Amino acid sequence: MPDTSSIIRCRNVWKLYGPGTDATRDLSAAELNDTYLQTHRLVPAVRDVTLDIQKGEIFVIMGLSGSGKSTLVRCMTGLVDTTRGDMLIGDDNLTGIDARRLIDIRRRRISMVFQDFALLPHLTVLDNIAFPLRVQGKGRDARLARARELATLVGLDGREDRFPHELSGGQQQRVGIARSLTTDPEIWFLDEPFSALDPLIRHEMQDEFLRLQGTLHKTIVFITHDFEEAIRIADRIAIMHNGRVVQIDTPEGLILNPADAYVAEFTRKIPRHRVMRAGSLAQPVTPLAEGTPVSATALLADIAPRILSSDRPVPVADDQGTIIGAIDRQQVIATIFGTGAV
Amino acid sequence: MSSTILRRPQVLIASAVRSPKSLIVVLGVILVISLFPALRETLPDWAVRLPKAWLPDLAGPINRFFVWLSRKAEIGPLRVKDISRGLAAVIEMPLSLVQGLLVTGLELPLPLRKGLQLNALPWWALTAALTIFGHWVAGRRAAALVLASCLYFLGLNLWDEAMLTLASVGIAVIIGTILGVLLGSAAHRWPQLDLVLNPTYDVMQTLPVFSYLVPIILFFGFGPVAALIATVIYAMPPMARNTTLALRRLPTSVGELASMSGCSPRQRLLLVLLPAARQGLLTGFNQLVMLSLSAAIIAAVIGAGGLGNVVLQGLKSMQLGRAFEAGLGITLMAIVLDRLSRAFALRRPSHGTKMTGWRRHPELFCGLGILALGFVAAQVAPMTRDFPAVLTGSSGRMLDDFFTWVNVSFAGPIGALRDGFVRHLFRPTKDALLSLPWMAVVLLVALAAHQVRGIGLALATTAMLSFIAITGYWDMAMTSLYLVTISVVIAVLIGFPIGVLAAQNPRLGQATALVTDTLQTLPSFVYLIPVVMLFGLGDFPAMVAIVAFALPPAIRYPMDGIARVPQSLTEAADMAGCTRFQRLIHVQIPCALPEIMLGLSQTILMAFGMLVITALVGTRGLEQETLIAVSKAKVGEGLIAGLGISFLSIIADRLITHGSARLRRRLGQV
Repeated sequence: MPDTSSIIRCRNVWKLYGPGTDATRDLSAAELNDTYLQTHRLVPAVRDVTLDIQKGEIFVIMGLSGSGKSTLVRCMTGLVDTTRGDMLIGDDNLTGIDARRLIDIRRRRISMVFQDFALLPHLTVLDNIAFPLRVQGKGRDARLARARELATLVGLDGREDRFPHELSGGQQQRVGIARSLTTDPEIWFLDEPFSALDPLIRHEMQDEFLRLQGTLHKTIVFITHDFEEAIRIADRIAIMHNGRVVQIDTPEGLILNPADAYVAEFTRKIPRHRVMRAGSLAQPVTPLAEGTPVSATALLADIAPRILSSDRPVPVADDQGTIIGAIDRQQVIATIFGTGAV
Repeated sequence: MSSTILRRPQVLIASAVRSPKSLIVVLGVILVISLFPALRETLPDWAVRLPKAWLPDLAGPINRFFVWLSRKAEIGPLRVKDISRGLAAVIEMPLSLVQGLLVTGLELPLPLRKGLQLNALPWWALTAALTIFGHWVAGRRAAALVLASCLYFLGLNLWDEAMLTLASVGIAVIIGTILGVLLGSAAHRWPQLDLVLNPTYDVMQTLPVFSYLVPIILFFGFGPVAALIATVIYAMPPMARNTTLALRRLPTSVGELASMSGCSPRQRLLLVLLPAARQGLLTGFNQLVMLSLSAAIIAAVIGAGGLGNVVLQGLKSMQLGRAFEAGLGITLMAIVLDRLSRAFALRRPSHGTKMTGWRRHPELFCGLGILALGFVAAQVAPMTRDFPAVLTGSSGRMLDDFFTWVNVSFAGPIGALRDGFVRHLFRPTKDALLSLPWMAVVLLVALAAHQVRGIGLALATTAMLSFIAITGYWDMAMTSLYLVTISVVIAVLIGFPIGVLAAQNPRLGQATALVTDTLQTLPSFVYLIPVVMLFGLGDFPAMVAIVAFALPPAIRYPMDGIARVPQSLTEAADMAGCTRFQRLIHVQIPCALPEIMLGLSQTILMAFGMLVITALVGTRGLEQETLIAVSKAKVGEGLIAGLGISFLSIIADRLITHGSARLRRRLGQV
């Protein structure tokens, strides 16, 4: 992939907590090891993370609490200072950035949705949504008009004059989402946006989120501790463990080739037919394959009934219509019930 | 055994610190040595009391310094005296404007001619407007309360005094809010400021009001401005502290939201942090209002006028009826102000008010309209300003006679009660405390401090107690301490069982909460009135007043603490087959113990707060010294004695709150 299309670039990003973190900038990469950290009583929240996020993709950072995912996203937004390494948003390096420039980036290019919503209790729904424009000094009429558009977009029609405490949790997060879209940012950070919601509402909000992204096409960095949520919405997933990024891959890639036992443990419980797509299951074409081909991007869950009811392998075609292989009943059964040998 | 201890104290202290058992032994030995005269003889004299010759003269230099500072000192081209005069003029402007509007009338300076005389607002306009504002802020019942209070003041001819007090409270609250929010936000922005501000607030809040009245009089003269400054000093710290606390308690995401929206530092504070922390700020505001009233009343001592002055004159001339009427008026005003400022804090915005301007707040504009109308009416027809004299009256004589009758007919039992307390409780306690060698007290407190917190607190308590000894106020400090100790013990003996009972029974609990909340709003000064009426002057009425004032926290903390014990725990106790009593003893009280201890510390702080005022009824400890300092304008004596009281209460508070925190950690309630 060409480097120009990546909009966020982390280069050996470290975030350390403890006394004397500045001194670590002068060390070589090899010197900054566990022994050094222990003797200097430094706690690494993020360790040596290098990754690129492409324009327009949904990039999910997945990890359990304490894995460093929240800190990493706060490095990306400048909410915490990166201790070491380069943290680039477009052409701006956030490491050591000037405060004014950072304010400017936040006002125009990036925005964030918070786990606990962070709605201002003294403002109405509409004023909350319009808040980022108010900070920029936009006129009242202009910002309220824009806020009304967004309230409609996220389905808050008729609730514009409520106060946050008069809304349910799901509705409150809709306000948070609308507010983060007010300035039409390029990059949209969502920090565990649905973790505080009930499972049913969470599912509904994930659908809503995918629907929004279908029309907005933002670059999205999405934090979650829920692997199922991650595979449901992600283009690519970075799995973090003890401050390190252990693996970056597509949901399928993680399931097919987990980098280590830690990742495998997550993928083990995931129903495969909800993740695997026809393309990655297709075997070399045999003459036996017959019937209309299925799309390579189709989820196994959607095509399984047809394959299972057919005696012969079903052909798989890519988006140009070229047949790239076929899937038979045995493969479907092995994928769904098998233990990994696909 | 005692000689071993004297020879090798370090060893014993070290072992005491290690194990609680040997600590108790050491404490016991110290007590025995201290209390038995024969053993005390073995101690060197300086360990019992520092000889007079050793004591440095601290008060003299402080007095000379303050006189120099207030008369001669210069900062650059300006004399301090001129600065303080200028400041006084700036503060006086709004104060005299409000007082003029409410009571005294205004004189507008006009060029060429004599100033234009404007009359103050008439009673009917103020009464109507205040009632409407009451309705706007807190609803119908509060409005009725406001109206009733106004009528009370009018009918008993206390209107002008009440309005003067209201004016001082109003201006003090405005200044206190601005200062408090500024200082509180600064401490949030720069946490290092805590190192300076926290101890300063501690001292400001515990220093007896009389001891800082003297320097204020030196700088600002005798009168309302000095009173106002004293009021702000007394009432502002909780506003600042609550501001900082509320800002620190905000979820981190609120601050992050401000950053992510691209707020400038000013926008961050004004648009995001302060509004989001509104609830906490208003808690501080409520405390600010109540303490301002309390201080504005006490400030009568330095010529603030108003209701406090009526009480003070009444107490001085033994016209108790008038003092009682004014005291009841203060009580009414306290309840009203508390209601209104609390309602303000609890109000949450709600949707459906799309209207703007006067239609959104019709009551506000209506009230302002009535005030404007009244102002015009007062100029055109001045006779409408005053409440018709025929409708006013005072029960003064009647009440006086009643109290005389009570005193005469119950002189026997009341006297017997008082004498019994004095003979069997007061004197023995006082003698015991006075007989303790000061070194023994310092050592005991330091050991306790080390146990609950560590070496830092032990050093701090040692320094504070040594200060009291070195300044030569040790005996007076013990005299203060004995009265507080007895009062606190009695308050706890009364309060704890009530609190426990109230926690078991929801209806009793509600009633208790209502009573204690009301008692807590009353300014300390008010408590002196009935006590003096019934018991006259001296330590016994002082003790009764202190107990009454310190009782609310002694009831509330155990009650709330027990009520807050998680339901699952009480259910587990029930399922284990506990009787109600067992449940209380084995589950509820142990779990609520940290809270109960905090209640004890609050009770002690309140007791010291009241002790300071009891100087007016003739107690003899440090508090008396601060009151004498006011009348003789001796800054040094007043400040040193005041610091003594301040230190005693800070020590008691620190020991208990740290003990409570330790317990909380052990119970895993962090």
